[in-house]
Amino acid sequence: MVRVAITGIGVVSAVGRNLEETLDTFRQGAGSAGTVSVFPTGLSYPVFEVKDFHRTAPDDETRTMSLALCAVEEALLDAGLDSELSGVRVGVCLGTTVGSQLNDLNFYLKYRRKESVSMRSVDRYLKGNLAEGVRRSIRARGPSVTVVNACSSGADAIGVALSWLRSGVCDVALAGGADELNPVALCGFGSLGILSDSTCAPFDRDREGLNLGEGAGVLVLESEENSRKRGKEPRLRLAGYGSAADAYHLTAPRPDGSGLVASLQRAMSEANVFAGDVSFVNAHGTGTEDNDKVEGAVLKSIFGKDVKFLSTKGFTGHTLGAAGGLEAAFTAAALREGWIPASAGFVNEDDEIRMSPVRQQTSIARRFAISTSLAFGGNNAALVIGCCQEAC
Amino acid sequence: MHIAGIGVVSACGRGVGTLEKALEAGGIHPARKEIPSLSNETMPVCSVGQETMTDKKVLKNMRRGDRFSKMAVLAAWDAVEDSGMGLDGGKGKVGIILASAFGPQVTAFRFLDEIVDYGEASVSPTLFSHSVHNAAASYIASALDNRGPTLTLTQFAFSFHQALILARAWMQEGRCESVLVGTAEECGTVMEYICSRKLKISEDGKIRSFDFSPSPSAVPGEGSVFLVVTRGDGPKRYCEIGAVSFDDDGGEHDVDLCILDADGMSEDESCYAEIAEWDVMMAAYSPLFGSMMTGSAFHCASAALMLMKQTRYACPVQDNPHGVRLCTATEQKRLERIQCIKYGCSHEKAIIELRR
Repeated sequence: MVRVAITGIGVVSAVGRNLEETLDTFRQGAGSAGTVSVFPTGLSYPVFEVKDFHRTAPDDETRTMSLALCAVEEALLDAGLDSELSGVRVGVCLGTTVGSQLNDLNFYLKYRRKESVSMRSVDRYLKGNLAEGVRRSIRARGPSVTVVNACSSGADAIGVALSWLRSGVCDVALAGGADELNPVALCGFGSLGILSDSTCAPFDRDREGLNLGEGAGVLVLESEENSRKRGKEPRLRLAGYGSAADAYHLTAPRPDGSGLVASLQRAMSEANVFAGDVSFVNAHGTGTEDNDKVEGAVLKSIFGKDVKFLSTKGFTGHTLGAAGGLEAAFTAAALREGWIPASAGFVNEDDEIRMSPVRQQTSIARRFAISTSLAFGGNNAALVIGCCQEAC
Repeated sequence: MHIAGIGVVSACGRGVGTLEKALEAGGIHPARKEIPSLSNETMPVCSVGQETMTDKKVLKNMRRGDRFSKMAVLAAWDAVEDSGMGLDGGKGKVGIILASAFGPQVTAFRFLDEIVDYGEASVSPTLFSHSVHNAAASYIASALDNRGPTLTLTQFAFSFHQALILARAWMQEGRCESVLVGTAEECGTVMEYICSRKLKISEDGKIRSFDFSPSPSAVPGEGSVFLVVTRGDGPKRYCEIGAVSFDDDGGEHDVDLCILDADGMSEDESCYAEIAEWDVMMAAYSPLFGSMMTGSAFHCASAALMLMKQTRYACPVQDNPHGVRLCTATEQKRLERIQCIKYGCSHEKAIIELRR
C-alpha cells in the first residue's frame, strides 16, 4: 500500500493565525474565550474567535473560505509547494458544516416578507463550495470534495484524501477542514443545551458543555515517493484512518462507545500500530457530559488509564467542520516538536472517567499519535499519524 | 465495481420498478406549484408524492425525521432489498456515501423560521439536528444497522461522481466490502423560488435536453437514488461501473448510448453540442424525474436498468433541433456500454461509463 507523507501543516484558529503563533499560545497553556463580535446576537455564550484576521479577499468570499485559504497557503509554503502546482494532480478535500449551508438570515427575511430578494447570497453560496473554491483559488488540477459529516468532517476529509492517494486519484492532496462562527450554529447548539456559560473544561469533573470556535486546519499529503522525488525527505506520515457509524442516535454517542472503538481499531490496524506504540491521543474532548464520558471510557479501555491524552478545545473551542483538520494538524505538529500542551481547562478528575488528560506541557516520544473525532449523526473517525523512522 | 441493487424515490414513485415503468411509458406530467413569494405565479415541479413516502415498517423510527432523510432512507433500504444481500447486521462491512448538492435545505430554512419567529434562545433542537447534511446518512445507518464508514459529501454538479470514485477507493483499500452510494435532493418553496429567479423554467413542463441552448429551461425535481455497489468479484445484478472520468480528451466513445445530463440546471448547455458530433445514439431521461444537480445518479440507475434488460428506452422528450441521433423508440437491443455525461457550470465534463 502507498505510504502517505504529511509534508505541510497550516492552521488558523483562536490560538493563532499560523502554526508559530499557535505553538506560542500552547506553551502559555491557556486559551481565551470571549463574547461574539463577528455577528450581532443576544446570546452570551463564550466563543473562541479568530481575532485580528484580515485577508485581502474578493467581496463575495465567505469567512469560512478565507480561513481555509489562510491555512492552505501556510500548508503549501511549509510543503515547499507554494510556487509550483502545475505539474502535479492536486486534490482538495475539506470538511465544513457552516460553509455548506445556505442559511443567510438577511436573504431569508426578505424572502419571507415577499420583498425583492437579491440573488447575491445565493451566488456567493454557489461559488462558495469550500473544496471547489480552494481548488480554483490555487489552480489545482485534481479532484475536489467537500465533506459534510458534521463535527468529524475535517478528519473524514483527511481520510478521503488518504484513499485518493492510495488509489492514485491524485499525486498530492490538501485535506482538512474550515468553519466560521455563525449565528445559526450558535442558536442550534444553544437549543441542544450543550453550550457552556463559562470556558469549556474537557474531561473535567465540573465540565458544563462546549464553546463554539472557528478556524481551519489543513495538511499537505503526498506519497513518500512523490515527496522524495521533489527533494523533500518526509518527517511525518498519515499511517491510518478509521471510520465507523454508531447507527444509534442523531446527537448522542452510542453509550458503549463501540463506534469509536471500531474506528480506532480500523485506523490502528491500517497503521500496524498497537496501543503501546501510541505516544499520545489528541481526543475530540468537547467538554460535554456525554462525549467526554464515552470517549474517556474508550481511551482507557484501549490504551490504559496512563495514556497521555489531551483535548485542544480548551484553546480553540469546538470548531465543528474544522475541528478534525485542526486537531490532526496539532497532532502532527506535536510529533514534529516532541511535546504536547496542557489540556486547557482541565482541573479535577471525573469519578466517572477516572483518568486525567495532561495538566502541563509534556514531552512525548516521536512515534505515533492518534486524533479522534466524534460527530452528530454518530460518525466516529480516528487518524493515526506517525514519525517517519528515518527522521526520528 | 458492480451495481448489485438499486433503490429509487422520485416523481415517478418508489422503487426501481416505478423507474422502469416510467421509462417504458415515456414521461410524467410535472405538477404545477405556486411560488409563495411570487404571487399568482406557478411553475412545474417534479415532486415526490406524499403517498410515496409512507412506509411504517421502514420509517418506524423516523417519527421526527424530515422529508429529506425519509426519501434517502427509503431509497437506501430498497437498494439493499433489491440487491438481495441482506442487512449488514452491525458487522461494519458496508459503507454509506450520500452525495447531495443542497442537503436538507427545507429543514434548514424551517430552523431559520424558528429563529425569526421565536428568537435565538427558543429554537427547536430537533430541527437543528436535522438541518445538518449528514442527518440522512445517520438515519440510513440506523435503519439498516449499518456500522461501516458513513460519509456525506457535497460538490454540486459532481457530487455523485465523486461519491462513486470514493466508493471504489474504499473497496480497493478493503475499508468495506460493498458501499451504499447515492444522492438525495429536496425541492421546497425557497428552492423553487431560487430556481424561478436563477433558472429559465420550462413553461410547458418539458425539459428539452437536446436544445443545447445557451439559456436552457428546467423543471425542478427532487428525490433519492441509492446503488449497492460491490467489488469486481461481488454480485453483479445490473452492470459494471467502469471509469468515472473528468475532462477526457474526447477519445474513445464507441458506446451504444450516451445519456446526457442536460436538464437546464446550468446557465448554458451549448457545450453539450460537442457530444452531438460523436455520431453516437443519444438519450436523456431528466423529464422523468426533473432537473437536479445530482441527476446523474438517476441516469446511472436508468442506464443500469437498460443494460440488465437489454432494452433501449425512447427519450421522453424528443425535440431535436440539431438533428442528433436520438433514441426515439423503445426496443430490445444488444447493449454493451453506456456513458452518462454531465457538464458542470464551468463547462467541465464528467463521464460515468457503465458496461454490461
